[in-house]
Amino acid sequence: MIIYDIENLTKIYAGQTEAANRDITLQIEQGEIFGLLGDNGAGKSTLVKQMVNLVTPTAGEIRLMERPFRTLRDPYFIPMHVGYMPQDGLAFNSLTVAEAFYFTAHLRGLTRHDALAERDRLLALWQLEPLRERVPGKLSGGQRRLLQIAAAMAGSPPILILDEPTNHLDPQRRQQVWQILRQMNREQGTTIIFITHDALEAEKIIQRVGIMRAGSLVALGKPSELKRQVDNQLRLELFFSPAAPPALPSHLTPLELDAGRWLVYLGKEDVAAALHLLELSQVDDFRLHSATLEDLYLHFANGQEV
Amino acid sequence: MERSVARKRPSLLTQLVDLTLIQLSNWRWSWRRMITTGMVAPVISLVALGLFARSSGPEALAYVFSGNIVLGLMFENLGKVSSNFSFMKAMGTLHYFATLPVHRYVLVLATVISFFIMSLPSTLLTIWIGHIILDVPLALHPLLLAVIPLVAIPLAALGALIGASARTPEEAGTITTLLIFTLTGLGPVVIPPSLLPEVMVWIGRFSPVTYAASALRQTLLGPVTEQLGWDMLVLGGVAVLSGWLVSRRMEWRQV
Repeated sequence: MIIYDIENLTKIYAGQTEAANRDITLQIEQGEIFGLLGDNGAGKSTLVKQMVNLVTPTAGEIRLMERPFRTLRDPYFIPMHVGYMPQDGLAFNSLTVAEAFYFTAHLRGLTRHDALAERDRLLALWQLEPLRERVPGKLSGGQRRLLQIAAAMAGSPPILILDEPTNHLDPQRRQQVWQILRQMNREQGTTIIFITHDALEAEKIIQRVGIMRAGSLVALGKPSELKRQVDNQLRLELFFSPAAPPALPSHLTPLELDAGRWLVYLGKEDVAAALHLLELSQVDDFRLHSATLEDLYLHFANGQEV
Repeated sequence: MERSVARKRPSLLTQLVDLTLIQLSNWRWSWRRMITTGMVAPVISLVALGLFARSSGPEALAYVFSGNIVLGLMFENLGKVSSNFSFMKAMGTLHYFATLPVHRYVLVLATVISFFIMSLPSTLLTIWIGHIILDVPLALHPLLLAVIPLVAIPLAALGALIGASARTPEEAGTITTLLIFTLTGLGPVVIPPSLLPEVMVWIGRFSPVTYAASALRQTLLGPVTEQLGWDMLVLGGVAVLSGWLVSRRMEWRQV
């Protein structure tokens, strides 16, 4: 079932001449994990704000479960189905962490008893129990981000839209976020749509990706499909002591990424030979991989060759 | 994590109660200002003006007394609600509320109610301190229970209108400060009409604060006249109009 059906969506903010985003057409299926990548100012946040009806489109149409926003008369339809996490970290004003979870869940339609249970579940799930009585102003940037993600999930809305959920988080917390999102998607069938700059880590959970550049959607599809569009080459990364570079077959030319770090592009047919000839005692480590989501992002968002 | 939770749309009453409780959490930052602007400032003004008013007779003392209570209510309701709305707008709180199943009219009402509740302690203390310092005899009328919210709520609604319309919290702060002193100074609020130029008395007819001071004076000190009915009517009208305007103007969605 199609959850979001976006057609030729364009937004020009009042007083601006440039479109924040233009002519975006996109469909998102129920239960999908959809990632939105792009540089700052590419129009991603505007797009997700349009998807939660915080920004009115200048042209085009959005349908949520076949109901067009433009003619939607029920003000509760979108909020009852979509949990949204904005970028702003101080949105909860003077509420403590525990209060923010309780009130969000209660206003999303849970009974008082269920909302209290939901509050405790979220505090435990996100390991925020020690911070339950803190107000957002007394939290670190990372803690605030977890509060926002958890509050967006309060009441288990069937769709989650998250604007940069892993910003300000340390690697361990980032892992936790991706793990919980994947679990929600698997066990509850939650449709998850998120913006991220963390392409390498997001790759672990993204099922389909949209890449935006200067307000337009320049790529859309499964990462594996997009990778095929970019190239079929594999990447061999070599890590070694700068004083003693390894020997490579003569027809391979390495790109020096850093002192002691080379990147070699290989055709599939070259892999066996290259690994056979590589003197493992000359390298500290090596990695062989296909194009990553970050490579796709750099290719489509910046027009860079990868 | 597998779970199924029954959800139903929150009723208007649930929205009002929850949003009022959420807004009451603002006491965490507002209590310091409640002491300074809601109590200390009106009491200092009351003492200073009271020194001069004593020689002008009981009418002048009554105006100083009621006028300064209105001043405190203005700081606590108009000022703080304006501050809160401009802050909510700047910090994304309005967007947070807009993505929940709540009605914006209910948010405005809940904000007005919660800041009124938070202004009550300082208002009651100012009345008691003013009564002691100025030695004015209180003749409390039961309608005072209706008059205090009727004075506070239109001021809060005006504050919401300013906060929701201002571009930044700084702009909202400047406008409200200017408005508080202008409304207090123009018209017979702190100073009796007999001591004011006629033009200021005339201008005062267009200020809700004049009616607020008049209603408070009658229900705190007596006598209650038919003017109280007009005062309450004007205050009620301003409350409804401001509430309607703010819910129209509030940047719930970006167009």
